[in-house]
Amino acid sequence: MAIDMNVFRGFAEQIKMLPQMARPTDCPENERVSHAKAIFSAKIDASNATHLESCVHCGLCAEACQFYIETEDPELTPIHKLDLLKRYYRREKAPLRWLHRLIEPEITEDDLKATQHLVYESCTECGRCGLVCPMGIDIASMVHITREGLAHAGLIPAGLRAVEQEQGSRGTVFGVGPEQLRQAAEELRAKGHVVPIDKDKADILVLTSTIDVLLFKDALEATVKVMNHLGVDWTMHSCAFEGANFGLLSGYSKVQQSASERITKQAIALGAKLVIVPECGHAYPAMRWAGANVHGGPLPFEVMAISEYLGREVMEGRLHVNPIGAGKHVTYHDPCKVGRHGGVFDEPRAVLQALGVDMREMPSNRATNFCCGGGAGLFVMEGAEPMRNAAFDLKRRQVEATGADSVVTACGSCRINLMAGAGRTQWATPIESLVELVGANLK
Amino acid sequence: MSFSEFVDGPFWYFSATVFVIGVLWRLIGMLSMGSKTDYSVPRSSGAAGALGINIKRFFPRSDFWSRIKLQVVAGYLFHVGLFALLFFAAPHIEFYREYVTGFGWTALPEWAFILVSEIAFLGLLLLILHRLMNPVTRMISDRGDYIGSILIFLVMLTGCLALARSHEALRVTHFFLAELLLLYFPFSALMHTFTFPFSRGFAGAHYGRRGVKV
Repeated sequence: MAIDMNVFRGFAEQIKMLPQMARPTDCPENERVSHAKAIFSAKIDASNATHLESCVHCGLCAEACQFYIETEDPELTPIHKLDLLKRYYRREKAPLRWLHRLIEPEITEDDLKATQHLVYESCTECGRCGLVCPMGIDIASMVHITREGLAHAGLIPAGLRAVEQEQGSRGTVFGVGPEQLRQAAEELRAKGHVVPIDKDKADILVLTSTIDVLLFKDALEATVKVMNHLGVDWTMHSCAFEGANFGLLSGYSKVQQSASERITKQAIALGAKLVIVPECGHAYPAMRWAGANVHGGPLPFEVMAISEYLGREVMEGRLHVNPIGAGKHVTYHDPCKVGRHGGVFDEPRAVLQALGVDMREMPSNRATNFCCGGGAGLFVMEGAEPMRNAAFDLKRRQVEATGADSVVTACGSCRINLMAGAGRTQWATPIESLVELVGANLK
Repeated sequence: MSFSEFVDGPFWYFSATVFVIGVLWRLIGMLSMGSKTDYSVPRSSGAAGALGINIKRFFPRSDFWSRIKLQVVAGYLFHVGLFALLFFAAPHIEFYREYVTGFGWTALPEWAFILVSEIAFLGLLLLILHRLMNPVTRMISDRGDYIGSILIFLVMLTGCLALARSHEALRVTHFFLAELLLLYFPFSALMHTFTFPFSRGFAGAHYGRRGVKV
């Protein structure tokens, strides 16, 4: 489970270079506002309208946000991030729009630019604020709509835009394409593992992510070991292996659709009954919840996060692991997109229970777990560094309150952000992967 | 026509009509925007989620309690007090029986009326002070929030002053302010009185489908 820290540092350096790699946007400056408004118009439905109509400006959402808690900067109040969307709604869609047009000014390009930092670099769309709102306002969903509007107005921050452009134009992420996947598979085969790639038919299509191919290679190896151990009919596919979806993260629907449909079409061609998403937080909602809607109809296969799959196999008695021992005290960090946005809470805990560790929950856990600070693409946005650091400081206190020896999680970008924070603050607590723990302790 | 006759007659009918039509206009307007079909396979029931959040959201999660207790306590004091005043104060029940429902119900004794008035005032004053003093609420609040709070405060104050029913001018003032509040209501955030079950319900259904209890 050792991570090559030189590779990690190289990866971090590559992330810092991203803004220089971003191409100029193809949205003309004078069309930005109209592009954003077209998206807002298409996306706002009865749910969003009701939420935008219901806010009483109580400010409770700030008290749930890790960025506000750590900085006490009112600008970071979650509902404040929706001011642009709310203004559009009031002028163009609200039942009282005829009245609001007399009061509310038209949105401008400057307003779009002023919102960019709030919805991209200052929000991980973790959704914790939605748990405290007395009106039940789902702020995270509407931050995402705002991102979508800005994305189509050519205002994705440069670092995130570089990766979105790469995935949109070449289908690769950080340069990882079919050839790099085959190389990774060869490395695993050299270790004696069977790694099926590009089978014509298979029951299970296993996705991976660039992060696992480049950095967390042990997570990929562990996934291969588990699948082979279970003896199921599985494959990876060189045309559809990347779980990460930078179209979703950036809000650019064209890229989201192409990345998602590539997987859906390949899974259908394989006759797959199940698609397994790797330890990559947003990859789960991208396929599990948005995949069918992008496809335009129900998917003819099931979608599971790897942590969910492991848990199900353990709970149903098909996956057996050797207990590590109660002497190992661990806490589990729920990735927001898999837990709070996905409902996967019990399965990873069932795996940890089977591993026999002394599980210690953080003060805020499961649905109210604090985000790592790197979600929703913040880990590739240079301007988000202060936010990432703030979130890590809070998370560190949460972990230390448990007295655990290590943090286990099931998301590569959570691991990256926690490792970066640990490196910055000389924090020695190991940050471990759930699938790696299972892979290392198969019975 | 005297001011008193105006307040008891045409202005009452006008404000009540604007209130009813305005509330329905806004509710129907936002709910009729529709929703796209969600083709993802639900993990759990959206309807159960919508129902669950509507009950559970009355009770804040313990994780948040230490940071939000002032707003929650003040909010409950105000809303419970106001509800009791609105629906269980003897003069109000008399008013509903005569103008709205045609029947009445048991009223609070006068000592209880005074108690719930004080509770409601305490809650409202705490909420106004919090809005003014907390950096977050001060930043996100707009004119409408203050207009609504002040109007409600004045309606409650004149209502208490008119309780003895010894001064007609006080009763008319209370009626007039209440009618202004009715006129303002559909154009303001006070609409949350009617939108909150839908707002909670949409979120509860969204997360309920995903198997998350919010």
